[in-house]
Formats: sequence, C-alpha cells, structure tokens
Amino acid sequence: MGAGQRHMAFQPITGPVSSPGSGIFPTLVFVQGNDQRTINLDHTPFTVGRKVDKDLVIADPRVSRDHALITSEDGQFCVVDQGSKHGTFVNGERVQRKTLERNDRVEFGVRDVSYVIFHPHHASSNTAREFLSQISGIQISTDTTDLEKLTLFLEAARKLNTTGVLDEILVTLLDATLKLTRAERGYVFMRDEENNLRLAAGRNSKGEPLLDDTTISHSILDEGVKSNSEFVITDTSQSLDLAGRHSIVAYDLRTVICIPLRKPQVQATRDAQAAVPTESSPEVMGALYVDSRFASRDISSVSNDILRAIATEAASLIENARLVQAEEAARRYQQELSIAASIQQGLMAVSIPEVPFARMKGKNLSCKEIGGDFFDAVNTEEGLAVVLADVSGKGVSAALLANTLQGMIYSQLTAGMPLIDIVVAANRFFTHKHIGEKYATLIIARIRRDGELEYVNCGHVPPLLVCNKEVIRPPHGNLPVGLLADATYESDHVSLHPGDRLILVTDGVTEAENARGDFFEDSRLEAVAAKSATLEDIFAAVANFCGGTPLSDDCTVVELVYSG
Amino acid sequence: MDLKIGKRRVDGVTIVSCQGRIMFGDEANALRDFLKQTLAETPRMVLNLAGVTYIDSGGLGTLVGVYSSARGGGADIKLTGLGQRLRDVLQITKLATVFEVFDSEQEALTALGRGAA
Repeated sequence: MGAGQRHMAFQPITGPVSSPGSGIFPTLVFVQGNDQRTINLDHTPFTVGRKVDKDLVIADPRVSRDHALITSEDGQFCVVDQGSKHGTFVNGERVQRKTLERNDRVEFGVRDVSYVIFHPHHASSNTAREFLSQISGIQISTDTTDLEKLTLFLEAARKLNTTGVLDEILVTLLDATLKLTRAERGYVFMRDEENNLRLAAGRNSKGEPLLDDTTISHSILDEGVKSNSEFVITDTSQSLDLAGRHSIVAYDLRTVICIPLRKPQVQATRDAQAAVPTESSPEVMGALYVDSRFASRDISSVSNDILRAIATEAASLIENARLVQAEEAARRYQQELSIAASIQQGLMAVSIPEVPFARMKGKNLSCKEIGGDFFDAVNTEEGLAVVLADVSGKGVSAALLANTLQGMIYSQLTAGMPLIDIVVAANRFFTHKHIGEKYATLIIARIRRDGELEYVNCGHVPPLLVCNKEVIRPPHGNLPVGLLADATYESDHVSLHPGDRLILVTDGVTEAENARGDFFEDSRLEAVAAKSATLEDIFAAVANFCGGTPLSDDCTVVELVYSG
Repeated sequence: MDLKIGKRRVDGVTIVSCQGRIMFGDEANALRDFLKQTLAETPRMVLNLAGVTYIDSGGLGTLVGVYSSARGGGADIKLTGLGQRLRDVLQITKLATVFEVFDSEQEALTALGRGAA
C-alpha cells in the first residue's frame, strides 16, 4: 500500500506526558486549605452543596445545602447558582449563571478558604491529536483513499503511543473514525473491572467532547459487544423491530454503527496439553460507537473495508496504549524491588563480633533479582554462633521473609536457646503461618571456646570442614524449615583444632553457571577451599568459572576459623 | 516459560510428565495449577520428572506443597524419573524421606495398584 512508501519523519516528542487526570473530561481542581484534589467533570449537571449526596460536598455552614450546579450546553460549561444564601462567585464576582472559561476560580459561599478552578479538556500541548492534525494537513494529499488516511493516522498514533496516554489515543481514534465515516458523533466505551461498559471518550464531528447521555442506544451497543461480527450497522429506516427501542424513537437516530474492540490475539504457542483452555472468541475490551440522526449524514453506506480496518487497528492501538500503561506499572514495581534490595542489604550488613578464639568473615554477591539469602553472627555465653539461610523464591516476599527469619533466629540465639529449639520454632512459624510454599534452607553453627562445634543443617548445602588442607563434607542433615509441620531436627557435633575452618555457602555458589550451562559444583568448591585460605579466592574461582555469565542466584560464603 | 507438562491415563492413574526447568515463578505456578487440577479429576498420580533438567528451590517448594496437600486430601502421588541432580537435592534436603520415589513408571504404577487393592 501507498502508506509504506511515504517517508514521514516523526520527531520524538519530549514534552510533558499528561497525567492520568488530564483525560478527555474537563476537570475541577478543588482547593480547600492546603488540600487539593482533581475531580473529573464526567457528567452534568454536576451538583455542589452541603448535602452529602452532592457530587462536590463542601461541609461548611456558609455553603447552602443545594448550592449550585455545573451544567453543559453546546460544549460550554456553565455554573448556575441554586438560590444559595451566601452566593456563588466566579473570579470574585457574584453570579447567578455564568459560562466557565479556562482557569476560572469558582467559590461557593465560602470565600478564599475553599474554591474550585475550572480546566476544560486537554490543556496539555504536544498531544498526539495535535500532532496528528498537523501531519494530516501536510502529508495527506486529496487523492489518498480513506483507508490510506486511516492507516496513516493509526501509524502515527502508534508511534506516538510511547508518549501519549490511553485517553489521547481514544480521542484520536474517534476523530479519525468520525472523519472517515462522516458520522455525527462517536463514543468509545471500555470495560471496567466489573465488566461494565463505561464511557471512555466521546466526540462530535466538530471535534468537541461529549459526555455520556441518554440518546446513545445502549441496546445496540450491548448487541454489538455480544455479537461475533466485526461491526454491526443498524439502519433504523430499514429495520422494523426497532420500534421499542427508546433512544432510537426518542432521538430519531438514523444509523448506528457499533464496532466491538477485541483484544488482539497473541500467538498461542503453549503446549497444547498444558494450555489452560481459553475462550473461543477473543476478549472484548470495549466498543466504538458512532451514530447519526440526519439523512444528510447517512453513514450506512460506509465501506466495509474501512469499518473492518478500524475494528482491527483500533483494538491493537488500544492494546498498545494499555501496554504502555503496564510498562509504567512495571516501572513502579522496579521501585518496590529497590525497596526489597535495601531490605536485603540490611540483612547482609552484619557486624561480626570479635572473639579471641575464632575469626569469622562473610561475603555476599547479589544477583540482579532480589533473593532471600542472609547471614548473621551472634556472640553469647554459649559461644560464637553463625547463621546462613536461603529463603526460597525471589523478590520482595523472599526478602521480607528472610528479614523475619533473621530476627527470630537472632533473638533466640541471643537468649542462648538450644540450636534444635531454634529451628523447630522457625519451622513452626513458617508452617503455622501458612506462608504458602515458602521455606528456607539454613545452617546454624555455634563454636565454643574449647573448639566444640555444634551445628544444625536444615536442607542447606553441606558445610565444608577444612582440616589441614583436607576437606570433609559431613553427611548430617535435616529437612528445610517451613515445608512440613511435623518435621524433626537433629544437630551434629565436631571438635575443631586450631587452624580448622568451617566454610558455609549458599546454593548460589555451587549452582553458579557458566555459558555452557554447567554448574560450579561441589567438586570445584572443595578444590578451591582445600587450596586457599581466603573467601576472595572462592569468589574469584566462581567468577573465573562463570566467565561472563551473570549470576542467577545470590552467592554467599561465610568462613569461620578456629584459632584456639 | 521453560516447562512442558503432559498427561496420560493408565488404569485409572494419571501419569504426568514434565520437560524442562521447574523454576520459581511461571513454571512452578503452571505446575501447581496443572497438578491440582489433575488431582481433582483423579486422586492417583505418577509424576515422571525424567525430562526435568533443573529444579530450583522455589520449584522444589511447589512440589512439596502440592505433594503434602495432596496427601492431606487423601490423594496419592508417586515420583519417578528423578535425575542424579534431583536425587542429590532430595538427599541434601532430606526430602527423599518425604517423597515416595520409584525407579520406573511401572514400579510406581504397581505401588499405586497395591495401595488401592
């Protein structure tokens, strides 16, 4: 098609992105003392007063119960005083009835303390719509077909998607559709969370915004949404069964076109056996509705190609706009992740107690995703205790659970509780709170001044005992904490000699991957532990093994050297 | 998603086979939903993990979660097709004592048959 050959230079638009409130509806900014809120003027008459059923309730004795209305006529908005005692003021002047202009200051009875600023629709500059009207004026020659025009419009709108918001896209879509169908007015309805159709945008052929009104044929709208067709054209002059339809009779609607907006189908390539059965027809996101009253604006002869193109293009356009909004949500999620990261940094910021008989060191390398690793060290009468744990899963939930677990274990170690009791309590906590499938593997080890080491391994990578360059992996172990409520736990005892080392690692170390998908494995870990005396050497060996492959899990190594 | 799940029926028992990785997130969620739905249809199941190349801590948690809630609800799951790596993990975590693991599908089916008889 011709559109492909046209070279249109799209300037990236860097102007301010309009806020969610700056949609198609005029807004009122209600200022009361230091508070300020924006109200969408999405229906008229909009009521103001002291009564609680008002659209804007101002709880002040100087405001009458039924104080004023804001009405709309021919695209203009008007404030009408309802015979209030203390009066309605526009820009300081008492009025009975006044057409509102941009930035008008409206006061109801109370002067200065609370007021409303009126903003007509679309105050923002650099909108998608303005841009589109510019390019349509310059680029589109008279011999372009309607369909090509539409394609151009939509192509432009799609590129602008990255800067605009959904409301802008809807208005653009309506303008383009009205232009192509020559219909009198058009509306876009979108489904809300409760699956009800709600007005998202309305425009007439003059480009003026329209609010929901009773002259829209909701029966045709519902029919269109329920139908399987790409569009439904109703020509009332040709249909006999429409006599009962209120709006058609009352407002003499001549032609109504309803185009259901269906979610674009993504290629379903999931395994057929595993796939959850999907509905047979694509999900209807909303509907595009245009109608005309006058014979001169007869729209029943609009080319089917155009309607079909609008139906498919519009849906993908809206879906794209929604994706942009989802990206915004994802950005916020990233902020939450950074909160989780700071929780985790707190977990890892351990001040290691100094004791004369042992030295302890810990090091952690975090992967990009937030994990649930933590370690801790506590010195008590019973000896120097070290904890290394890995909560299953990732993200905020894992970090928070790790935080809780760390607190529990810390307090019980400080209280000098037996290690078994501590893990039994942790297991009870996880299983009784029904934290889902979350669990933790952990090791708690406590070394006494005389070299007696007691430790409990709960499903964790077995520790490395390095005695005189020989690496021992004790087979002792228990279930992780949090999986089974009735799990029982046992500890193990080892006598250390001066110079002996205990090395604890998380599975992020043994399961560090290289580009070929091999794991670092216990064997490599044992080899480096036997050779070297430092944690840095272990991390260097892991880094060397992985090459450039990024870590998929946190790596934590804790080393305890008994010096006697 | 990096996990394919398939099922077939043999003598009133559902054999579920997995291929790929069972990781915390999409894969574990898909597996949980699939197993729960399947257990609602037939309470006796053999879970064949021969095609599973890797299972992370979250995936293991899901497996244990489904396993113990199935047991609690009177259902019976036998595992088979465990690779060396998964056997090691079950050994380290002592979960080998929790799951009923069999060397072949046939042995698992036989064990289920005995249980029902």
